[in-house]
Amino acid sequence: MRDPYEVLGVSQNASDEEIKKIYRDLARKYHPDNYQDNPLADLAQEKMKEINEAYDTIMKSRSGSRSGDTGAGGYGAQGGYYGQSAYSGASSDPAFSQVRSYINAGRLDEAERMLNANISNRSAEWYFLRGEIAYRRGWIDEARQNYQIACNMAPNNMEYQRALSVVRGGSTPYRQADYGAQSDMDTACDICNTLLCLNCLCNSGGCR
Amino acid sequence: MFGYIRPQREELKIKDYELYRAAYCGLCRRLGKRYGLPARFFVNYDMTFLWLLLSCGQSQPQRGRCFCPANPLCRKDCVENGDVMDYVADVCVILSWYKLRDNIADEPFFKGLPYRLACAVTGGAFKKAKRRQPEFDSAAVRQLKKLALLEKEQCASIDRTADAFAGLLSCCAGFYEAPEYRRPLQQVLYHVGRFLYLTDALDDLEKDCKKNQYNPLRFRFAPQNGRLTEEDQQYLINSLENSVTLSGAAFALLPARFARSLLENILYLGMPATLKLVCTGQFHKQKKMRK
Repeated sequence: MRDPYEVLGVSQNASDEEIKKIYRDLARKYHPDNYQDNPLADLAQEKMKEINEAYDTIMKSRSGSRSGDTGAGGYGAQGGYYGQSAYSGASSDPAFSQVRSYINAGRLDEAERMLNANISNRSAEWYFLRGEIAYRRGWIDEARQNYQIACNMAPNNMEYQRALSVVRGGSTPYRQADYGAQSDMDTACDICNTLLCLNCLCNSGGCR
Repeated sequence: MFGYIRPQREELKIKDYELYRAAYCGLCRRLGKRYGLPARFFVNYDMTFLWLLLSCGQSQPQRGRCFCPANPLCRKDCVENGDVMDYVADVCVILSWYKLRDNIADEPFFKGLPYRLACAVTGGAFKKAKRRQPEFDSAAVRQLKKLALLEKEQCASIDRTADAFAGLLSCCAGFYEAPEYRRPLQQVLYHVGRFLYLTDALDDLEKDCKKNQYNPLRFRFAPQNGRLTEEDQQYLINSLENSVTLSGAAFALLPARFARSLLENILYLGMPATLKLVCTGQFHKQKKMRK
């Protein structure tokens, strides 16, 4: 196993508080919510597991050497989350459950072929599954159109609503939360910008 | 290729700014060494990004000083060569050359003359690059054929047309064999490619409407006088923001040892900023001002 400190990217001398903070940031970054319906969900899950293990190892070894216990395993209980299939909504139609398992396995072409063969049954679920296939391909426009139709046909289905809200940007996954977001702090930034621009002028004007 | 993928300069740290410049100069120098002086004109921001991204599995590169023909009195900081740089130089020549061919096909004979000349001058470089990266070249030919076909039948799907181009860019992920690199890289490049293609389409929309040339946005939406309605534009922006988010999520799974903060700037700030500029029609003005 890799050095747990290396996994979290912290130094061995970091305080418990620092480690906790970094761990929380990482856990937020690789949280399953950010990788829903994402073809890379399995990699994110592995990463999450690695981080959890590293954090647990560090906290255990530290509480062993010191008396003060720091309550390890904040997000540790997340293993079960992935245990259940990505699809909670059960299909009444056996053909659709087959399509779902193809999608989960990443066999999108087969899923699409099967869906097209089932063309007589254009239910809300049919459109939803078409949206799922498109989304996993990165075809966001077609995904949104299909989700929209599915939602119009079955307005009370939470599964369809959630998918639609993701493509509409309703739920904002991890992005600028961590990274120096574009801020509206005009005055402070203006000063920095001016300095930076001056710096650029000085540098690119002359030789370096 | 297009120059849409770039950092937001105001938010860069000095060390990242210097790394970016060194990468740009390094790529230019490598193009010159590998393919001769004319190929140096192919250097661009998008390929600099590609180098930074593909370097995710590498350790911090050596920096050196190099001579710059554009500014002969100065010595510039530049990153030293490596396998990634060689690969990106090859890819850069291949893509730029096809772009030239595309320009020739789009323009009438006399207007296309400069492109013809450029093509003739860099033909040798292209052949060499093609020999070095036969797999990438055949992928490029395949994807561009697909794109040409979609354009011919005036495809109204922005996803399908963008897919042809994005698929081409994501082929570069083949530089790594290990799936823990290759798969996230494929996703990052796919969505960056999608963003690039559609941003370019938005940028060219007015011109294409005037000249009555194909543009996927013309058929997907119904632009008035070469402009999308407010609502449609917002819809498109939203779709592209999804791509930015997805490429960011995929990027988070890569190790990116030395260029993380620079790449994060490009993905999270630079791309949205570019989109904003293109939407307001400021992009080309800004570009001129910066030069």
